[in-house]
Amino acid sequence: MTDTGVAIDVTEGGAHSAFRMFCRNKAAVVGAVIFSGIVFMTVVGPSLYANTAKEMVARPFLGPGEDGAPLFGTDYLGRDILAGVISGGRTTLLVALVAAFMSITIGLLIGSVAGYYGRWVDAALMRLTELFQTLPTLLFAMVMVTMLEPSPRTIALAIGIVSWPAAARLSRAEFLRLRELEFVKAARSLGAGDLRIMLRTILPNAMPPLLVATTLTVGIAILFEAGLAFLGLGDTSSISWGSTIGNNRGYILEAWWTVTFPGLTIFLTVLSISLIGDGLQDAFNPKLRGR
Amino acid sequence: MALLTVDGLTVKFGDFTAIDSVGFHIDAGETVAVVGESGSGKSVTALSIMRLVQLGTRGRITSGSIEFRMPDGARLDLVGQGEKVMRDIRGNHISMIFQEPLTSLNPVYPVGEQIAETLRIHEGLDKKAAMARARDMFDLVRIPEADKRIGQYPHEMSGGMRQRIMIAIALSCGPRLLIADEPTTALDVTIQAQILGLIRQLQADTGTAVMLITHDMGVVAEVADRVVVMNKSKVVEQGDVDQIFHSPADPYTQALLSAVPRLGSMAGRPEPEPFHLAGKLS
Repeated sequence: MTDTGVAIDVTEGGAHSAFRMFCRNKAAVVGAVIFSGIVFMTVVGPSLYANTAKEMVARPFLGPGEDGAPLFGTDYLGRDILAGVISGGRTTLLVALVAAFMSITIGLLIGSVAGYYGRWVDAALMRLTELFQTLPTLLFAMVMVTMLEPSPRTIALAIGIVSWPAAARLSRAEFLRLRELEFVKAARSLGAGDLRIMLRTILPNAMPPLLVATTLTVGIAILFEAGLAFLGLGDTSSISWGSTIGNNRGYILEAWWTVTFPGLTIFLTVLSISLIGDGLQDAFNPKLRGR
Repeated sequence: MALLTVDGLTVKFGDFTAIDSVGFHIDAGETVAVVGESGSGKSVTALSIMRLVQLGTRGRITSGSIEFRMPDGARLDLVGQGEKVMRDIRGNHISMIFQEPLTSLNPVYPVGEQIAETLRIHEGLDKKAAMARARDMFDLVRIPEADKRIGQYPHEMSGGMRQRIMIAIALSCGPRLLIADEPTTALDVTIQAQILGLIRQLQADTGTAVMLITHDMGVVAEVADRVVVMNKSKVVEQGDVDQIFHSPADPYTQALLSAVPRLGSMAGRPEPEPFHLAGKLS
């Protein structure tokens, strides 16, 4: 065997067995299937489904199964709930993904530097983190969204800014734990610099909990976006799962279907993301491979 | 001419003096054993040479010098060198292997990649060339089935194998000094003998000087050319291995040697001997 062959075998073997470990977690596979279904629905759905979310298609308050009603019924303006679920996902998911990415990026940056360097750097950054943690998150996000004009961009920014402390504390804890380990000392004794140790030596070992946290943050961000939209602080010109629920919240007792189906969609999405996070944890733990 | 000369080295942790005016030298290609009980300052001395003593434990070198002869003949006092110079020296000119082979390897990378990593840091090799050199290092440290093992993760290997990998990593850039901090303490006796034999063999092959830290006088007798005895932060005696074993001058060295069981000393006794605790327990 040539040396090139060896190198390629190594990387392919790693990715392949990670995939195998993920598939061994049945719940995670179910989660992945549900989540891809939801993503497919929101991306392709609007061009396949005849009705659009903003047009009147039937009489108001038609329940599912009633004569002439669409699958999930209609709301107080006679708009199709299913169309709202299909096209509302775009806004919700996009905002949630951007917000989670921001939250993890800020959190990892601050937490890793604090945990790795320790001493006054740690003290200063952790006080900053605590400052953000003491802010009432929903209230702070509401103020931010109101002050800037509500748009998917500002909502994602607001969610990202209020949710990074958890990621920062987790990253700090991981870096604090790992930097004392023998193999980090060994890496330094071999001439690795700070940046290399942080990125190549410590970060991959901190990945499993951080990945799970990232996926959970996506879930939290979805709930957050829905919460803001429910309170009427969403982008009024676009429809999201949260705004569909929010718009219909006055008719919750007369027309249960108007809030139940978007609510169920949010529930399923967050659940499937958590399951995926669980599976990723298995996949990135090399000690579980080959068992 | 000495490869490494340590002179008057004092390291403090806060107000506590961890090592006090330690001085010794290591010539090119020889093996110097640093012996002493736990807490006598052996590891602190080693970490000070690597200039890693400030990490975690936050020790400070308060005085003394550590002169290292570079390949071009220039003498460099490692005390006071910046991090950039030290990074180039660590792993390249001076390497270190640690006591715990079970935890000294990064669990998330295959071992071959970990050998290649050092070569990429110091020699700027690309991934392919570094992996080829890593493959050669497997042969050097006598690991069979290199093609299979190069892609294995540390947890798939035994303690002895992992220590061989550590040695391969430490020697990959051809250092002139290898510091081995109790490299066999965590291994069982037969594997200890193999690893010591390997270090001795590699030393003969590559001409690397070895600073061997141990508390095992049996290991000292086996591999060392010279011995530095440390006790309570100070060097109490140093000399050739024959002189230390035959006519130890310092009372502590004598006590250390008398603690080694001799073959036949248990003759006629049916049961294991309990420990006699020397001196009073305060």
